[in-house]
Parts: sequence; structure tokens; C-alpha cells
Amino acid sequence: MTFLKSQLKNNRFLTIVILAYVAVGIFAPDKFLPSLGNTWYYVKEMLIIMPIIMLLTSLISAWVPKETIENAFGKNSGIKGSLFAFLLGSFSAGPIYAAFPVCKMLLSKGASIANIVIILSTWAVIKIPMLITESKFLGPEFMVVRWLLTTLAIFLMGYITSRFVKPEDLPTDDETATAVDGPLALNSDYCVGCGLCAKIAPSYFKMIAKKASVINQTLPPGDNLAIKDAVAKCPSQIIRFHP
Amino acid sequence: MDIFTMIFWVITLVWLGFSLKKDKGKTLKAIKMSGGMMKGIAGDILGILLLIGLILTFVPPDTIKAIIGDANEVFSAVLFALLGSITLIPAFVAFPLVASLVDAGASIVPIVAFLTTLTMVGVVTFPLEKREFGLKFTLIRNSLSFAFALVIALAMGVIL
Ligand code: SF4
Repeated sequence: MTFLKSQLKNNRFLTIVILAYVAVGIFAPDKFLPSLGNTWYYVKEMLIIMPIIMLLTSLISAWVPKETIENAFGKNSGIKGSLFAFLLGSFSAGPIYAAFPVCKMLLSKGASIANIVIILSTWAVIKIPMLITESKFLGPEFMVVRWLLTTLAIFLMGYITSRFVKPEDLPTDDETATAVDGPLALNSDYCVGCGLCAKIAPSYFKMIAKKASVINQTLPPGDNLAIKDAVAKCPSQIIRFHP
Repeated sequence: MDIFTMIFWVITLVWLGFSLKKDKGKTLKAIKMSGGMMKGIAGDILGILLLIGLILTFVPPDTIKAIIGDANEVFSAVLFALLGSITLIPAFVAFPLVASLVDAGASIVPIVAFLTTLTMVGVVTFPLEKREFGLKFTLIRNSLSFAFALVIALAMGVIL
């Protein structure tokens, strides 16, 4: 029963749509099967594309050296820095707000305003698995043309923004985690709810209403490898660990 | 299966083969993790797909075409760009939704405007962005993204 309840809570949208289907079944039964039929076509398309998306996302996260790209920032500005910014955004996963803490960290490492705009925008619109989904549903031509135009727009936006906004305009406090009295902290505003931390270190993190929380501040002596792994894997890099 | 999807399948499987050969543990761990992430959004995806079925059954294609097919393109582009700015759904689930509208005869101009602002402009995340980067940066970045979304959309209408 509690399982059912938490499922309902986590899938509120799906629940509403299913209720709508029940209503259709009662009040307009002749439309019920056609609706399911129309859905089926898109379900089939999704099933063809989902496995690649999943596999590609894992392969990218396993083999693309994000740390190396991030570290290259401090040293590279100009065209090279912008290209790194573009790559970093393209190979990252998660919604745009997951990029905020990452960008903040890069700013403190010396990334330029233009490059931050480039990362934020590419992070938002240009993702390899997304491009595949787009070409599947809207056609390769549509995808390629939109990609070209968007890429152009992103570099222009980076340039324009850097003309208007100077580094002094940005707030300087870079401690995004809320202060707590313990070695572990995380700012759940930026949690994308992926559940990785809870999976890697279940005795320290727990998912509550799709956001991660710290449930345990007492560390056993030792390396705490699980926690370090969670810190490294968190897509929005919001877990702070100061033993 | 179209040729494009087929190519991606081949690339992915070849890469997977190499990856498994090089470091089996690392590969399987990564797959398990993104599998978990997928499970997290599976409910939303199914919800959207079911909703598409309802829309296509209840709203006749002629109506969709009349609203966003033949109407003034600039006006509908602005409207859909606004809609995209305030919506916060993963682009991943937005593609089948807009594809169903295009199949029903919608013009691509408002659709592109929607897709672009959906991901680049964040009204809901504005306070968070402001806290991290300041008001000036956030305002300029979001307005520029909105304006460029319209430019991209209109340009695509001309090209395609
Ligand atoms: S790893 Fe944990 S804290 Fe980080 S985004 Fe995923 S669920 Fe949230």
C-alpha cells in the first residue's frame, strides 16, 4: 500500500493521464481504443530509440574525461576555451539548472563569462542523445539545420553577453551548499533527482520526494570511498564532503 | 527503422563492444546507473505518450492545422516561445509531443521556437540562476536566448 502511494506520488503526471483515460472509457468509450492506438505508434518509436539513448549516455559518462575538460579551462581562453565549453556542455547530462553549480565552480577557476554562457546554453540544447531523439521524431534534416543555427546562436550569445556583463557583476560567494554541522552537505535546490548518490552510498543519502537528503553524518574511520564516489558522480556536483 | 537510427544503433553497439572489452566493470556500472535514471523518467514518458494519444484522437488535425499551421507565423512563434519559457519538462519527452503536432499539420516555426526556449530559457529556474550569477547576467542571458529562439525558428521556416 505504501509502495502504491509512493508510486502515485512519484508519477503524479502519469496518474492524472490514466484518470483521464478512465474518464474517456466511461464517457466516450468509442474514443478509448483510438487514443490507445495513436499512443501505440509513438510508444513503438520510443522503444526503438530508448536503448540507444540509455547506452550512449552510459558510454559517454564512462569514457568522456569530463575532469580533463574542466581542468583545461583555467588555462585556455579564446577560441580553444570556447570549444572546450561547447564540448563540456554537449557531453553533460541533466537539465540546465544542474549546470549552475558546475559553472560556478568553473568561474572560480577562471572561466570567462562568454564561455559560461556557452556551457549553459549547450548544456541546455545540444546533447548527443537528444539530437538522436530529435532526428528520430522530426527527421534528420530538421535536426541538422536546428543544430547548426543553434550552435551559431550560442557563440553569438556568448560574445554579446561578455560585452555587457563583466566579471565584477557576478556575485562572489561560491559556497552553494547550505551550512550544516557535519562533514556532509548538499544543496538540494540543484539536485536533479537522479538517485546516484543514494545508490552508491545508501547509508548516507536518501531520496525524499525526488530530492536527495543527507541522512547520516557519522562517518566510520577509513577512506569513505563510497562517499567520495558519490561526490564525483553527482551530475550537478552539489555534494560537499569535508571529513 | 530509418537509416539514421540504424547508423546510431551500429555506432552505439560498436562502442559498447569496445567498452566492454576494455573495462567490463566500468561499463556495466555506467549502464546500471543510466538505467536507474531512465527508470526515474519512464513514468513521465509514458504519461506524455498517452496524452499524445488523447490529443490526436480528440483534437482533429484540421483544428491543429488552423491554430498553428496557417495562423500568422510570427505571432504563433512568440506565443510558443513564451509557452516554452515557462514549461519545465525534459526535452526528451517534448520531442514526441511536438512531432505529433507536426504530423497533424502544425507549422515548424512555432514548434522550433517552443523547443528552443523550452531548454534555454528558464522562468522557473530564474531565481536560482539569479542567485548564482546575478541579476544582470541572468536577465541578459535569458532575453538573448528568447530572441535567438525566435530568430532560429523563423530562419528554419525559411530554410525548410
Ligand atoms: S547524485 Fe544525488 S544529490 Fe546529486 S543530483 Fe543525483 S540525486 Fe541529487
